[in-house]
Order: sequence, then C-alpha cells, then structure tokens
Amino acid sequence: MKKLCYTAFIAFWASIATIVTIHLINGPDNGDPAQRAPSMAVWSLEEVAAHNSLQDCWMIIEGKVYDLTSYLDQHPTRPSVILPYCGTDATRGMQTKGYGSNHSDAAWRSLGDYLIGELEGAGTN
Amino acid sequence: MTRRATLAIWVLALIPTFIAAPGLTDADWNSPNAVFNGLGRLTGISGLGFLLVAACISSRVPGFDRAFGGLTKLWRTHHLLGGVAFLLLLAHPLLLAFGRGHSATDATGLLFPAFNAWPIWAGWGALVLMMLFLGPSFSFFGRPPYQRWKWVHKLAAPAIVLALAHAFALDRTLPPPFDYLVWGTLSLLAVAALAYRWLFSLARLRVAGGRFPYKVTDVRPVSQGVVEISLLETGRRLAYEPGQFVYLTPFDETLKSGLNEEHPFTLSSAPAETGLRITIKDLGDASRALQKIRSGSNVSIEGPYGAFFPRHEDDSPELWIAGGIGITPFLSRARTLRQPGSSTSRICLILCVQDEARALFADELRDIADALPNFEFRLHYFYQQGPLDQTFINACCQDLESRHVYICGPPALLSLASRLALEGGVKANAIHTEEFDLL
Repeated sequence: MKKLCYTAFIAFWASIATIVTIHLINGPDNGDPAQRAPSMAVWSLEEVAAHNSLQDCWMIIEGKVYDLTSYLDQHPTRPSVILPYCGTDATRGMQTKGYGSNHSDAAWRSLGDYLIGELEGAGTN
Repeated sequence: MTRRATLAIWVLALIPTFIAAPGLTDADWNSPNAVFNGLGRLTGISGLGFLLVAACISSRVPGFDRAFGGLTKLWRTHHLLGGVAFLLLLAHPLLLAFGRGHSATDATGLLFPAFNAWPIWAGWGALVLMMLFLGPSFSFFGRPPYQRWKWVHKLAAPAIVLALAHAFALDRTLPPPFDYLVWGTLSLLAVAALAYRWLFSLARLRVAGGRFPYKVTDVRPVSQGVVEISLLETGRRLAYEPGQFVYLTPFDETLKSGLNEEHPFTLSSAPAETGLRITIKDLGDASRALQKIRSGSNVSIEGPYGAFFPRHEDDSPELWIAGGIGITPFLSRARTLRQPGSSTSRICLILCVQDEARALFADELRDIADALPNFEFRLHYFYQQGPLDQTFINACCQDLESRHVYICGPPALLSLASRLALEGGVKANAIHTEEFDLL
C-alpha cells in the first residue's frame, strides 16, 4: 500500500503538471461565443421553451440561445440538476451555479460550441 | 467474529458508492468524456466514504478493538481504508479533468477555477491536507518520529471538514435524500469518534474507563537498553488480560524526553499480581529516557487494548514464537500460568534472539518451564544458528499441525515464522500474530 500510494501521489502531480503545461503551450481556446456562431438565427421564448427535456435541451444565456443537448453528459453535475434550466433563461444558473459562484472562463468560452442563435428582441431594447 | 467485524467496516465504507452507482445513467457511458466524468464523480463519493469510515474507527476505545482482533488489526483496517480513500480522491479531480479532455483549457479551468469558486478550493484544501497527513503514514519521505507523526495526523480533522464542504456544495450524484442522510450519518459517527478521543486524551476525562493513575515503584534493568518498570495504582486498578497493551504517559519532570507524551507498551505482568509491570526497550528518544524514570513518579495508563490471546481458549497445544522484546505478551501469559490454580495445555515457547546477551527474562522463563510440566522453553540464537527453521521448531513440537501458533516480534520474524507454521501444516486461522507497529 505504501508503494502504491507513493506512486499515485507522484503520478497525480505529474498528470496535473501535464494538463497545465498543455494548456500553457496551446494558450487559451480562442473565440467569443458570439463570433463563433455559424449563423445568428432568431428564436422566440416560446420556441426555446419547447426544447425543455434532457433529450432536447436549449437554454437562453445572456440573450443568446444554445443547444446544450449534446453537452449534458459532460457536465460535472447530474443531468437532472440542469433539467429545470432546459427551455428557460439560464443566465442566473450560469452565473451562480446555484450557490453564488460563477462558471469558469473556460466554461463560458466553451458555450460557443453550442450557440445556435439569439433570443428574439435581445439587444434591441 | 474478527473477519465479520472487519467486513462490516468495509461494507459501511462502500455504502455511498452502492447508492451513487445506480445514479449513473446511460448518458454517463456513451462517450469517453462522459465515462471519465461519471467515474470522476463516483471516485469522489467513494473516496469520501472510505475517508469518513477511516475516521470513525480512528478513535481507540478500550474494548472496541477486541471485535476486530485487537487494536493493531483495527488500525491496519484504518490504514487500508485511508490508503484506498487517498487513491480514489487522487483519481477524482484527474478523471473529471480528463472528462474535459477535448480542451486542456477546459480541464485546467475545472481544476483551477476563479478564487470565488470556494467548493473547488475546499476540495483542493482537503486533498493537499490528505497528502500532508498521509505522507508520513505511508513513509513518503521516510519514517517520522511517533510524536511528529501523531501531530501531523491531526490534520485529518480539517481535511474531512473541507472534503464535506466540497461534497455538500457540489455532489449532486447521490440522489436526495440519501446525500444528506449518508454524509450526515457518516459525519456524525466520525465527529463522535473524534470528540470521544478529544475528551479522552486532551481533557483527560475518565470517560468509559478513561485513564488510570499509577505510580512507579521500581525500575529494574533486564539487559542492556531494556528495563522492567513496576507500577502501583494510586486510584482505580486496571483490569486486563495477558498479551494486552496500554498507553503510558509519564509525568516525571526529570525525563530528558517524552514528558507527558503517551506511548504504547505491552504489559508483561500477570493480571492477578499486585500492580503492573511494563518492559521497555530503548528504541527511540522517549523509550531511552524512560530507562531512567524515577521511582515514585506518577504515570497515567490508558487501556487495555489488544486481543492477542483469544478469550475462550480450547485445549489445543500451543507454539509461541517470540523475537527480542516481542517476548513481553508471552511473559505476561507465562507468569499467569505460574500462578496457583492455573492450568494449561502443552505449550512450547521459542525465544529468538541474536545472542545470549539479548535473551530477555531467560532465567525466569527457565524457572517457569521447570515448574510447569506442560511448558517447554527454547532459546534460538540467530547469530549462531541462522534463521529459525522447521527443524528447530520440530525439535520443540512434533505435532505442529495441531497447534495454535502465536508469534510476536519484528516484521521479518512474523513473516518467517508464519510461513514455517503454514508449511508445517498449521491452519491459517490458527496462526495469531501481534506487531509492534502502530504507524
């Protein structure tokens, strides 16, 4: 057990160092979510609200609409925690995680991969 | 009984895993990222379960250890649970980061978020504290002195608090209400165990037996670097059985080291005799200082612990194999057998020492062997005769396979003597060992 724990201890820090080194070499992922959008389709609240299941989950975050269906299995929490946000404006959930702590910059950046348009009327008022 | 009790502890540690595992859905297995994520969450829950149960059994309560075959065996389980918890909790953040394997930036963001993401940093705090307090237990950087190890090990308490804060804020894999139920129950058990120990050792309260006040009445040199100290109770009297050990705290202010520090020692006296006798070998600063403890000074005794000899003995003949200072539990039992009214099955005691100068209590043991027809005593000199072997054992007892074998001494002798006993046809459950290794 002593050798195993010591080996795991060294392997742990080696793995952490590797992940951080790759991140530093590659630099941060590029892209503003809005700029990476293939097209800026406009969706109404009612249209977004229809996508309110784990099999079809859209969310509104800061006026943009995201199809997060394919992301749900990668989220750290259980999909059922996210379910109440599907089909709704989840800006507050994104900003607070439910306990007052904002999602990371990396999480905000990766949202861009799921951008499908913007909310009707967003940015016009 | 011993195995059942130990198994129950492992099952208790696995309960959070059993409850969480069904919570993983098909979605957790449909991509490599999802698998890493699912396993990352599961290892976090399992690791915390093992850590909390390790804490629950960390409190030494006199008598509680007997169900587990003695305190050294209970603490072996504690040590293994801690090791498994450490491995699982090291894997936990790595697996979650691998779950973000498509982007090193994402993975780094998960591991090192903004400073206000306190639940993640609480998790890091717990993990780093675990590395600090388990490092000495697993000899990461050599073997520390007992007192330093003990002090560093207290970091387990803040580590557990941080780990629980991390889990309560982030764990959504355990389905409600099991999350609060499981972590709440295990936390309460762990807190109760730690609170008991605090009351027991810090406040020095006489809780459930508590500590016993004794006075040193005699300090007798046995050989170079070994003394036998005699103690007499100044208050309540400790009841114990042969082969058990106690924690002794000396209050002799002339001691060069170890004042007010507790250290474990096996009792070498017979339970029915007046007072206690403890044999102490010079193995470190504190035990070296105790060689010169003043007669008349006060000590406190906590215990008894251990279950080397079974409480209900059958009539099977026995073979005792002792190495060096490992003679002490056998000495206690041999002194008990010599007392009027004692009866015994056939016993052969082999004391393994380097040379004659280190044959502790040889004269007294020869006297006991002369007085008891069923008791045979043999000395094995390592320097002259080489390692203990089957021939030497057979010369003492030809019916080895029918004997219960008791072994106490350094790890090398424990492993050699256990192997010889097994090769000689002794059943594994008839081999009983006691290690003087409480780290």
